[in-house]
Amino acid sequence: MAGERILELQDIAVEFSGFKAVSGLNLGIDRGELRCLIGPNGAGKTTALDVICGKVKPSAGRITLKGQDVTRLPEYKLARRGVGRKFQVPSVFRQLSVRDNLEVAYCKHLGVFGNLLGFKRGAENDGLEKLAELVGLEEVLDQPAGYLSHGQTQWLEIALLLAQDSEVILLDEPTAGMTAQETMHTAKIFNALRGRHTLLVVEHDMAFVREISDVITVMHQGRVLAEGRAAEVQKDPAVREAYLGSGGIADA
Amino acid sequence: MTRNRDAILRLVGYALFCAAILVVPLFVDNGYLLNKFARYLVFGILSLALSLSWGYAGILNLGQAVGFGLGSYCMAMALKLRTIPIQTGAGGLPDFMVWNNVQALPWFWVPFHSYAFAIAAGMAVPAVVAFLIGWFVFPARVSGVYVAIITLAMLVVINLVIIDQQPYTGGFNGITDLTTLKLFGIEFDAYSDATYYLAAITLSLCLFLGLAFVNSKTGLILQAIRDDETRVWYFGYNVAAYQNFVFCLSAAIAGFAGMLYTLVMEFASPTFLAVPISLSIVIWCAVGGRASLVGAALGAIVVTGVQGSLSDTPAFLDTWMLIMGGLFIVIVLFLPNGLISLIDLALGKRRRGRAATAAASVVAIERSESSRRQSAAR
Amino acid sequence: MSSIIPQISVGLSIASILLLIALGLAIIYGTMGVINLAHGEFVMLGAYAVWFLQTFLGIGLIAGLVLVFLLVGFVGWLVELTLIRRLYDRPLDTILATWGVGVILQQAVRLGAGAELRYVKMPDFLVNPVHVMGYEESAYRIFIFVLAVALLLATYFLIFRTEFGLRLRAVTQNRDIARCFGINAARIYSLTFAYGAGLAGVAGALVSPLKSVSPDMGTNYVVDAFMVVVVGGVQSLLGTVASSYLIGQANGVLAFLSNDTMAKAVVFLGMVVLIRLFPQGLFAMRLRRS
Repeated sequence: MAGERILELQDIAVEFSGFKAVSGLNLGIDRGELRCLIGPNGAGKTTALDVICGKVKPSAGRITLKGQDVTRLPEYKLARRGVGRKFQVPSVFRQLSVRDNLEVAYCKHLGVFGNLLGFKRGAENDGLEKLAELVGLEEVLDQPAGYLSHGQTQWLEIALLLAQDSEVILLDEPTAGMTAQETMHTAKIFNALRGRHTLLVVEHDMAFVREISDVITVMHQGRVLAEGRAAEVQKDPAVREAYLGSGGIADA
Repeated sequence: MTRNRDAILRLVGYALFCAAILVVPLFVDNGYLLNKFARYLVFGILSLALSLSWGYAGILNLGQAVGFGLGSYCMAMALKLRTIPIQTGAGGLPDFMVWNNVQALPWFWVPFHSYAFAIAAGMAVPAVVAFLIGWFVFPARVSGVYVAIITLAMLVVINLVIIDQQPYTGGFNGITDLTTLKLFGIEFDAYSDATYYLAAITLSLCLFLGLAFVNSKTGLILQAIRDDETRVWYFGYNVAAYQNFVFCLSAAIAGFAGMLYTLVMEFASPTFLAVPISLSIVIWCAVGGRASLVGAALGAIVVTGVQGSLSDTPAFLDTWMLIMGGLFIVIVLFLPNGLISLIDLALGKRRRGRAATAAASVVAIERSESSRRQSAAR
Repeated sequence: MSSIIPQISVGLSIASILLLIALGLAIIYGTMGVINLAHGEFVMLGAYAVWFLQTFLGIGLIAGLVLVFLLVGFVGWLVELTLIRRLYDRPLDTILATWGVGVILQQAVRLGAGAELRYVKMPDFLVNPVHVMGYEESAYRIFIFVLAVALLLATYFLIFRTEFGLRLRAVTQNRDIARCFGINAARIYSLTFAYGAGLAGVAGALVSPLKSVSPDMGTNYVVDAFMVVVVGGVQSLLGTVASSYLIGQANGVLAFLSNDTMAKAVVFLGMVVLIRLFPQGLFAMRLRRS
């Protein structure tokens, strides 16, 4: 996988009323890579994802996506250029059925008028059903998403991202609330996705991180502390220092 | 398979409803009654329009009467201009303009000599007003409650302006003494079968086209927006454009209802776009079922029907509003999806057991989620 | 120049009334996230309470103010207790429920006190104008202004210098966590709602001698007060004060140039444009959106 840079963050800073959540953040990700982002609480991981998907605008710095400056683009335009996001608190459409959720996420046409004549139950329906099977939701396709369990909701949101078919997928703690078994199933899916998609995963579960990632980026106090393979990163004295008091990296 | 069965049941229900309102003139040959029924149907259209924006897209438009009133004025202006010479002054000037010393017909009245223009304007003017407000408000991504109070402010302001501009709008009195609309050789007298059929056919069309609309992908995306607006942005949809679209569509339908109302009432008045009627629309829609087109329409027909069959005296109306206020609160508290949801409950009996346990878990999830969300906001 | 000074003082008294109404609205919305559409009816109730006290019990406006505050506050407290409490998690529905309350209050007053306009007498010693810096000034307008400032300071003191205020701010920040620390959030909410309602009642009492009193008088006030809240944002008292002043003056000056209606229309259009540019209001902090 020759390293074509798909996403590049340069000297990003984010401030909330004087509080610096992120400062001088540099991060580069290659096409098809699966990158894990770890770090102690308050390191700015979620904020980093927020900046990339356009939820938060940086006060300084530059974001480049596929060679184009996208720093000032609103989130829906970023989504159109291929950035998808899974949130820490799973957000799905609770009043809509699972099928309808997938239908919304399957967004090849985005305009109001184009969609006026598009009715559900199109040819793509088969694809959506296969997706639901992949994440084990085929039984509950016609149930409102609000009826799903927490784990199922996580699955649904992952399925939504697959339906959206973004080039770059940002995931914020995708395995939170999952059983060990479910977590491993997720790892399998992510491993299948790499190559075709570029993934950036914020995760606390180190076992999961080791299972899926090539390269890990460790963040601390709003900037990158270390970058490398899991084994290297864990040996890094700076990383140990940062995790001091939170019980070490292994079970952070 | 239950999915298809539900859809077919719903279509049958809609068809039965339309058939019922269309056969009424076969049994009623009292013009006064038909006129009354036509009024209820017009309110049904109005309530349905609100259901599109509120029930399906989560946009609570407290100024729904703006579109209604503007449509009503458009029709009244066209009819007034044809009322020459009996109720109109020299040179084709409407009588109230003469009384207010207006010398020449204002420019914005001139095109209303044409029925085609007036009918187009009756929908376009409300839609444009809605579009302008929506263009400012929706991209700002303020919360739904803000949208609600801004639409309420819009209603109050437009109402005041229309009353204030008496020389051009007839002020408090509105536009009265109108001629009868004649179109395609049909005379739409307020007490005729023709006017009733016009209202009934319009309502039927709105129901079926509305059903098609909410089942289109655009309709689905609007429902997703209602559920979680911010999430929809991240799929690449321009949420503000979708919201503004349904906001305008709803205003245009309200405008059409307003035109019909002028035909039925034979005048236009600033009370058509005042706070009480806007409040009534929300009440009808809530009582019938905000997220059901036929429910919303039925809500309007039943509430106004009961009101009309009881009495019309001012003292009664005051008491009636008091009761409606109470009923409204009870419905909001205990039956958020309106009376129509009782039918769903009855039909869904067999699935109830499963749904109940699932609903309990939903509550649990939402609780833990809201606390998580709050701590995430720290 | 000479015509501008009285204009500013008219604007100032409009702003004072607006401030009292908007303050209650902003505190309720800021703390509970509830838009209270019955707020205008609380104003109306205050005006009717003064009229009632004056006409039937012979209690003057100023003597009755505390009573009005308590009375309307009590109504607010009841509304919170029976209704708002059930709707904390459904903000759009609180709009509907409070609108329903507004209708009930309006109709109850219309049936009880009649639909005709009522008039309230100004306190005798405030009827005559006084001279301030060479200008003749209505003593009653000065009274309104002073009282509004006093109530503003009292509110500030209440929120930032008392135990209750501390709890209120804690609940505003995070209801669940505040609860864990033993704060009775429900009680804070009902007291807040009652306080906001009481302020609206006082505002209604104060305007009653200036305008005629009628059951539907609340609607216009509540719309103006909403504009204040939208323009000022809900994060700070300062925002509410500044935007009350801004909108009060705009109303005063524009009404002087054309008339009340056009003033209102221009202020409304201004607000709509503003909301696009400053969605969080003019005086908001930049917070992390959750």
